[in-house]
Amino acid sequence: MGTVLQFVVLGLGLGAVYIGLGSGLLLVHRATGMINFAQGAIATWGAYVFAELRNTGTLVFPIGSVDLGEPPSTATSLVIALATAIALGFAVHYLAFRPVRQNSVLAQVVVSVALLITIQALVVLRFGPNKVDVESFVPGGTVTVLGASIPTRELLIALVVVVLAALVWCYLRFTRIGIATRAASENERAAVLMGFSPSWLAAIAQAGAAFVGTVAVILASSLTGLNADYFGLLVIPALAVLLVARLESIPILVVAAIGLGSFQSLIGLLVTQPWWPVWAQSGLDQVIPFAVVMVILFVTGNRLPTRGSTQQIRLPDVPIPRMRPVVAIGLLVAAGVALALTEGTIRFGLTTSLILSLLALSYVVLTGYLGQISLAQSAFAGAAGFVLSKASVDWGVPFPVSMILCALLATALGMLVALPAFRIRGAQLAIVTLAAGLGIERFIFNNYSLSPPEGNPIADASLFGLDLAVREGRDLSRLSFSLMVLVIVAIVVWIFVRVASGDMGRAFLAVRANERAAESSGINVRRTKVIGFALSAFIAGIAGCLIGFSRGQLSAESFTVMAGLQLLAVAYLGGITTIGGSLVAGLIGPLGISYVLMRGFLDLGEYYELVLGLALILTAILNPVGIAGATHHQIEFIRRKLARRRADAAPPVDVALREEPTRV
Amino acid sequence: MSDTHGLYARELTVRYGGLVANSAVSITVRPGEIVGLIGPNGAGKTTFVDALTGFTPMTGEITLDGRAIDALPPHERRAAGLSRTWQSGELFGNLSTTENLLVATRRAGWTALARDVFGRHRRTGREVVDAALEMVGLVDVADTLARDLSLGQQKLVGVARAAAGGCTVLLLDEPAAGLDSMESRALALRLRSIADAGPGILLIDHDMSLVLNVCDRVTVLEFGKQIFTGDPGAARSDPRVVAAYLGTPTEVGHV
Amino acid sequence: MSDPSPVLSVDGLTAGYNGVPAIRDLSFAVRPGEVVALLGPNGAGKTTSLLAMVGLIPLLGGEVQVFGAPLGRRRPHQLARSGLLLVPDDRGLFPALSIREHMRLAATKRDPRHEQEVLEKFPALLDLGSRRSGLLSGGEQQMLAIAKALLARPKVLIVDEMSLGLAPKIVQDLLPMIGNLARADGIGVVLVEQHIELALSVADRGIVVSHGRAVLASDASALLADRDLVEEAYFGTGRFADPEPVGDPA
Repeated sequence: MGTVLQFVVLGLGLGAVYIGLGSGLLLVHRATGMINFAQGAIATWGAYVFAELRNTGTLVFPIGSVDLGEPPSTATSLVIALATAIALGFAVHYLAFRPVRQNSVLAQVVVSVALLITIQALVVLRFGPNKVDVESFVPGGTVTVLGASIPTRELLIALVVVVLAALVWCYLRFTRIGIATRAASENERAAVLMGFSPSWLAAIAQAGAAFVGTVAVILASSLTGLNADYFGLLVIPALAVLLVARLESIPILVVAAIGLGSFQSLIGLLVTQPWWPVWAQSGLDQVIPFAVVMVILFVTGNRLPTRGSTQQIRLPDVPIPRMRPVVAIGLLVAAGVALALTEGTIRFGLTTSLILSLLALSYVVLTGYLGQISLAQSAFAGAAGFVLSKASVDWGVPFPVSMILCALLATALGMLVALPAFRIRGAQLAIVTLAAGLGIERFIFNNYSLSPPEGNPIADASLFGLDLAVREGRDLSRLSFSLMVLVIVAIVVWIFVRVASGDMGRAFLAVRANERAAESSGINVRRTKVIGFALSAFIAGIAGCLIGFSRGQLSAESFTVMAGLQLLAVAYLGGITTIGGSLVAGLIGPLGISYVLMRGFLDLGEYYELVLGLALILTAILNPVGIAGATHHQIEFIRRKLARRRADAAPPVDVALREEPTRV
Repeated sequence: MSDTHGLYARELTVRYGGLVANSAVSITVRPGEIVGLIGPNGAGKTTFVDALTGFTPMTGEITLDGRAIDALPPHERRAAGLSRTWQSGELFGNLSTTENLLVATRRAGWTALARDVFGRHRRTGREVVDAALEMVGLVDVADTLARDLSLGQQKLVGVARAAAGGCTVLLLDEPAAGLDSMESRALALRLRSIADAGPGILLIDHDMSLVLNVCDRVTVLEFGKQIFTGDPGAARSDPRVVAAYLGTPTEVGHV
Repeated sequence: MSDPSPVLSVDGLTAGYNGVPAIRDLSFAVRPGEVVALLGPNGAGKTTSLLAMVGLIPLLGGEVQVFGAPLGRRRPHQLARSGLLLVPDDRGLFPALSIREHMRLAATKRDPRHEQEVLEKFPALLDLGSRRSGLLSGGEQQMLAIAKALLARPKVLIVDEMSLGLAPKIVQDLLPMIGNLARADGIGVVLVEQHIELALSVADRGIVVSHGRAVLASDASALLADRDLVEEAYFGTGRFADPEPVGDPA
């Protein structure tokens, strides 16, 4: 019993982070209706600033730094770090959130994901990838309860953060601005009519959220050390806690956060028990909370508050694709020639780009066409790759049956994830799928009993005696493999075009545009969603298998949550509504050809994430149709200009005809 | 024609929390007939259509051609032949006019997926769509994106989408709102010709002149209660109806 | 009364959505202490014109002057702070907030005496301070909406569809009170109503809007005297009937 209590208290450090991030997320959601996926990253930046001040006496900015000589005192450092966090909060509001407040939910999710990528990349660039020690200024010690020595530091940290959460609660309940923030979240127009500026309310909320989160991360990282990836992604469990608190109750949030932190700590105790199954030693701390959140959401999902908006939000256009054999063959030949003329890392980069464009295409189906936001696509891909290693090596299933089988398994997973989409949509669906992705990552890819550290080898493909292996001797990128990828990508794209231009594609677009209008037009919205998730996961699964073949083994790092977010980023950047967009996404995607060139020739590989994140923020704000869409618009513009010139030459007969009133 | 043809709603009641939005409203719409549903703003007209089409929980009985449909989800009611339009248009903005109608005439599902991939893309159904466009006079804008249409055209596309592929009863929620008087008058003629071709129409509108000119019967709601059902001419002179719309000349003058 | 300059003047206002006007060429002015009723059936464009007056949607044409200065680049919340108050047709309440919290938001600076004065006009609200507005009856909600607007010391008060969903008795109590307040405190009031009789009984002038245009404007007493004329304007019959559509074979 004493040990249990000890572990519960040890979990308070984690719980404190969830409270800090969660109450900030709640504040921001109240003020803007948006979910800030970068909340953890922002807080991590603030914590790094503090650590760096105390450790080296350097005040680090995103660009440049000031050497203060002697490290300033703890209090001074704390004040500077928190001031930085507040400034960052304001910057986040005015530079990223405010510009997209009237945009679609997708643009809002993308902006905050882009912020996450950008700030994470900045942290690594400015502070280095290694774990940093953070000064513990909270007095330590132990008390003995039930025969176990309980650390007091965790208790004090939790207390500080709970007090901060209580202050947030008081702000929302008792101050005029706080009441206005709640008011605006219920009826923004009415708040404006009472003289409140929603933008100002939101800016204050962002600053407050950054402050509370940073305090929590500074305190918690003094227990474990500071690590960008780890703390940045703690936003995911914090988001789960936020959903449990129904995005509005701070008391529930505090209880759920402490519960989750302690539970995860207790799991750590449980898995060391001799009777605990080995396969379940890793990842359960992520999977079980996710399952709990799923159940809670499924029961209460349609009662979750969403902010009504009076504005009609215009979604990016979706051109319905046509079969254009000449273009298709031209592209195929061009790609084939490019693959044949290159070799080594360049050819491998091109091949990776082809595969990435499939992953991006899975986003086109789900997000571009069906309008659902899923952040679990890379997990679907990874799951297919994982089973592929079992199927190809342990069970000896031949290619291409193995690949299709594994893609079908990803399909099944996708259909499962479609279930919450019955009840929730938009950013909340993004949260759930993100949590699902994290669960799959921790439980399967990072689980040594399922994915041994020496790797999950994947047998090379061969078809009718044709060797389709990616490597042979010193040739790291064989042409036959690249051509196989090209053929598979072509087939999948062909399937996509068939569906997108057919009855299902139209049904997808109808559901995206307006669910209830679709329903009243006789469309079974739930079934349509399941089919969309299935198709999208199938495509992701094929891509996952190809990634597996190209590496010769399942490489967990290709399928992490961060990799998935980067994929959403490039898919959106390329253009999330078109095939052209997914091809562009492939070219600029992580480890694709642009990355290879950036690293190989410009030596800028380490800036890849930063450039990606910044480009994405700009795209989401300025140009929601992505690079391919923008090009398309320009082509249309030129075409229309040419057409007008031709029309000027001829007398405008049809115009007169059209304006005749229609008679009955 | 047997008695059960058309839409029969008996004693529909809708409650939102403590508020009774519809209180035991009954209505009958037979094929070929235009029934008007009118009442001041907030009287519960749209709620009634939502209840009929399955978008809000209600109690009461609804039959369509003799078949009970009150337990079906919205898309199945549409398939059964009960079609509706929306006050705010609710077109699929970035689909063309034709495609808006095709959505309503093609079934989406696993078989549709398989047919899309492996089968021939069907050209059938286009005739139905063309016929519906012909009916509302929108052949000219068949390939225009719905959101580029004028408001009047959007309303008509909504009507055509609801009617496309056939339906037994058409529920039109304020098709004339926002139209100018010319457009509104043209709409009346369209509606008459649609009803003459078969389906019954339940027309909700505020435009009294439209409703009174085109309807065979009218039902008037006030505060969720049915205060009048009968001949349009009688409605115009019924004191309760006039009072509901304009307010009674009361003792307010003394204040 | 002398003829003070208008607090709100609307000149040729044209406004709508996606570039399509829902109201065209509307003109009128409101002076302090004056009540103007904007009447017409639903969909006539009344609400659209109000939203344009308070800056919530852009003007497609014409000009609006508030307190003698054009709307210009002033944003809706700035206009509200300067004393242009709109009570929208959804009443502009926050269902989860209590009456007291609404009061707190409405008063720019705390002034218990003023607060008391306003509340005394709505005795029904006095005992309900901690109740959430979502739990109030329709009449109480409307009272709260108006009380909230008055607390902000408006110079121009625009009330959209006050009678919406209210029993006639309540409207009969509330509307005259607004008229009296306007005259007592010199507030310029615009009432948008479907309920013609009541609105005209408290208004100085009435404007009937139909299909996006003002079709009739006159003194309230004149309109009240010729009830048939108003009805015809309202329903588009009699003297306001549309011309037969061109080319109609029938």
